[in-house]
Amino acid sequence: MVETILRATLLGLQLGVTLALIAAGLTLIFGMLDVINFAHGALYMLGAYFGAVIAAELGSFWLALVLAPLFVGVVGAAIEVLSLRPLYGRNPLYHILLTFGFAIMIQGTVLQVWGGQARRIARPDLLTGSVAIGSLNYPLYRLFVLVVGTILIVAIWLAIERSNFGILMRASAHDTEMVNALGIDVSKVFTGVFVFGAVLAGLAGVLLAVSRSVNPGMGMGIIIEAFVIVVIGGLGSFRGAVYTALLIGLVTSYGALIAPTLTELFLFGLMAVVLMIKPNGFFGTTEAA
Amino acid sequence: MVRRPTGECGNRAGSNRASTPTISRRQYLAGSAAVGVGSAFAGCLGGEDRLTVGYALPFTGTYAILGESIVNGFELYLEQNDGEIDGEEVETIERDTEADTNRGVDVTRELLVEEQVDALVGPVSSAVAITMMQTIENEASAIWLNANAGDYRVTEEGCLNYHFRTSFNDWQTSAPLAGWVYNNVADTVCLAYADYAFGQNSKNFFREAFEDAGGEVVAEVGAPLGTDDYSTYLGDIENSGADAVFSFFAGSDAVNYITDFADYGLNEEMTQTGSGFLLSEDTLPAQGEAALGMYSLLHYAPTQETDRNTEFVENYRDAYDSSANVYACQGYDSAQAFAAAVEESGGSDPNEMADALGGTELDSPRGSFRFNPETHEPIQNLYVREVVASDGEQPVENQVVETIEGVESPSWGCSL
Amino acid sequence: MQSALEYIRQRDAPQTGNQILSRPGRLALVAGLLVLAAVGPVIQSVQPFWLNLLIRMLTFALLALSLDFIFGYAGLLSFGHAAMYGTGGYAAALLITDVTASALVVLPIAILTGVVTAAVIGWLSVRARGIYFAMLTLAFAQMLYVVAFTDLPATIVAAETVTGGDNGLYGIQLYELFGIDFRDRLNYYYLTLGIVALSLAGLVRLANSPFGRVLQGIRENEERVEFVGYDVQRYKVIAFSISGGFAGLAGGLYVPFQSAANPGLLHWTVSGELVVMVLLGGMGTFWGPMLGAGLVVLLEDRLGGVASWEIILGGLFVAVVIFAPRGLAGVIVSFRNDPRAAVGQARRAIENYVETVRG
Repeated sequence: MVETILRATLLGLQLGVTLALIAAGLTLIFGMLDVINFAHGALYMLGAYFGAVIAAELGSFWLALVLAPLFVGVVGAAIEVLSLRPLYGRNPLYHILLTFGFAIMIQGTVLQVWGGQARRIARPDLLTGSVAIGSLNYPLYRLFVLVVGTILIVAIWLAIERSNFGILMRASAHDTEMVNALGIDVSKVFTGVFVFGAVLAGLAGVLLAVSRSVNPGMGMGIIIEAFVIVVIGGLGSFRGAVYTALLIGLVTSYGALIAPTLTELFLFGLMAVVLMIKPNGFFGTTEAA
Repeated sequence: MVRRPTGECGNRAGSNRASTPTISRRQYLAGSAAVGVGSAFAGCLGGEDRLTVGYALPFTGTYAILGESIVNGFELYLEQNDGEIDGEEVETIERDTEADTNRGVDVTRELLVEEQVDALVGPVSSAVAITMMQTIENEASAIWLNANAGDYRVTEEGCLNYHFRTSFNDWQTSAPLAGWVYNNVADTVCLAYADYAFGQNSKNFFREAFEDAGGEVVAEVGAPLGTDDYSTYLGDIENSGADAVFSFFAGSDAVNYITDFADYGLNEEMTQTGSGFLLSEDTLPAQGEAALGMYSLLHYAPTQETDRNTEFVENYRDAYDSSANVYACQGYDSAQAFAAAVEESGGSDPNEMADALGGTELDSPRGSFRFNPETHEPIQNLYVREVVASDGEQPVENQVVETIEGVESPSWGCSL
Repeated sequence: MQSALEYIRQRDAPQTGNQILSRPGRLALVAGLLVLAAVGPVIQSVQPFWLNLLIRMLTFALLALSLDFIFGYAGLLSFGHAAMYGTGGYAAALLITDVTASALVVLPIAILTGVVTAAVIGWLSVRARGIYFAMLTLAFAQMLYVVAFTDLPATIVAAETVTGGDNGLYGIQLYELFGIDFRDRLNYYYLTLGIVALSLAGLVRLANSPFGRVLQGIRENEERVEFVGYDVQRYKVIAFSISGGFAGLAGGLYVPFQSAANPGLLHWTVSGELVVMVLLGGMGTFWGPMLGAGLVVLLEDRLGGVASWEIILGGLFVAVVIFAPRGLAGVIVSFRNDPRAAVGQARRAIENYVETVRG
């Protein structure tokens, strides 16, 4: 029994940090750019595919972990510069159509290039095997994901709170004209934020591609879950996204213990209840679009 | 052979009622006058003789690889026969069902009504097959070569004369394994399955057969379709204390489940057995060494060392530069079935084709099999396969360890 | 941060002023419907399959119309319209199988099912605004999807099956109505066309009624309408329910035609695609979204055989957002108003685009 609960808790936390990586980008992009990014799931999928290709070609998981998110960042930069930049200030609802278009384009391209067969990144030798935690043997790679994910989340948190770019970011979101007046090119800040979100999604893609199958449907599969997290946490709130991601991770893993088929029902039920009590989510400050 | 003069093709004007099953649509239409001929009727112009085959298969989405393999298999047969069956040129038309049940109905209708195909090949998903039944029955214009959808209800509830399973049914890929597991592996099993119709059918069939054999099912663990992480379910499986587990998962789910199974070291505690799709050629490359030593039951293994199969595998590699798999074999056999139907009925009338095909024996790479005339289900060999290390391009492959011959499935009340 | 509603208020006020359709616009629509009615028999004789496609296009046009009434016109972004579409469809399937196939009974009940579903979801959701409202409607629709997929009702009432689980309900017969044989596709086409025409006429009338003016007021400035003394929440729930009724009707039309009802009807991708159709067509115009829906269905079908159809369709969405911000309706309207200026505008739009990208 203790073992079961321990396993579920570890799993929940591991799911939580990976979801947080995806949701963090989504919420930052929304908070700063006012863009509902439906292509975020597709960027996560691209991370997994780039990772799988790099790992297979160069034979190194570690290179894949570093390079694949950067390539996703490049794709993100292209999307931002070529399509979002000309559209800022326009009705944000149209970003749904735009990013939905990108999502299916990326999915179609992946299918054309790599086919529909499920792939996976081979586990690095260093992280093979398992660790005994009490009576539970827990796979080492999963602990690695949990630890790396946690470190990244904390680092991003500090970066947003403390670094110059973080301050600039928050200032740009708060008062675009003011920052512009200071002679800083806000459009570059926006591009930076979008690329940052894309890199995080790509990173989550590579991390998960070792323990999950990589397939063209994975992007559309995760996007709604990510939106649920962002909305419950409060649109634009990084803190909200992280807390909610952990909560959802735990709900998913404990839910599987109690009533597996109804887990998704719990998830959406939870969102409905939260929004009915707090119409702007847990940490939503503004009455966002 | 029913020739197809120009007048039969385009016209549907006037009181266009669905024909009764005893009169085929084409015969009915032969009575009406010719009106407009659009470009879509190119095949009809000049009274040229031609057979048309429609693929209702997924070409996008998770199952794209299955659709592609089935088409490759079918076309391989056509190529080997110069693109002709019984002296007629064969035209093929692809339509993407995606993974969407509604698309399946649209695609079926499009192939039957717009393209007027003589044979429909597909689908992959059982949910799609079940919704297609009504349309195929209504149109009554083509034979249906079911190249992968295994839900037994297509026979139980449809029981269509046009329907031929050139693949398998979910009873065949689960129940026959029960006796083998009881005799060779374990007396107690835990059942693990993806919680949707196909998974439920498979585990129910296995349970029934396993209990009949004298074994005991100690636990059942159902995981939602599309589960990404099986940790929790593996905990339940481990706690069941069973010596073996029988699983039904397919595609991405199978990859995730098997990888997690090995991750938690469960492969050292209990024997993994399952329906063939758990460990098939579309999942093994991603499962890799995690799958070693696991058993599964299927009607085909590319490593079968018969002359017929070796030839098929080599030809397939030459043509497509990739390894043959069970889906390719099902596609190839669909083509063989179509050829047999046309040749033996001497034409493309769907009812005559269907009558000719019941009981026909096909010389398949999987081993010869024939259709049960009562149900049109295949009576075929099933192979217990073990995943072993390989020195081929993939690190692991399936090796046949036992052949269960001439497996006939229940009739489920269908009597054609 | 500016909200979506404010943006709509500032930038996307309908070109037609307060009227949802100008008189020439209405005449054009009537003419369009007459053409559709006239071409039926021609298509029947030339290529009957196109009738199937047209029926699907019309069904989705009806769905897009119902969404545009609440989204484009009243300003409430529903991301869960599949809920009403699906429940309407399931209701029709269950009735036809177990009770009666009479269209006069089943279709009104499909509408009612849509209305009730929407009323419940609306009542629970209207206090949230903008994206939060969208996500609430999505949540309820997705919950219904899980309920249908796992056949929860069967577990609750201890029946063998109610929704048929993931396989859904199949073998649904066509409607009976005044002895018309709907197996003839032309007849089903006319049934669908007639219902779509009536729905459009009804919604246009409603939009131009005092009730419609209040909805428009809510879209423009919710606080002001509330201040004047209207119960905004109630208006929203009623409008959402009306919209839901039409979505339920679309479900009731589609399911017997497809002979099947399955959980896919309720999935979020249906709702998402609908939003895309409405935006593509040009929201708030009624006819634009219907056009958008027809076009998406047509393209998905015709490009289905092309392996890269997702790339083509996705590219179209992207191009429309960048170069035709008011959707297809905007393009058509500016061409009608002044074709030469429209070409000039297009050129300027491309120049502007290049300039902003360069930064």
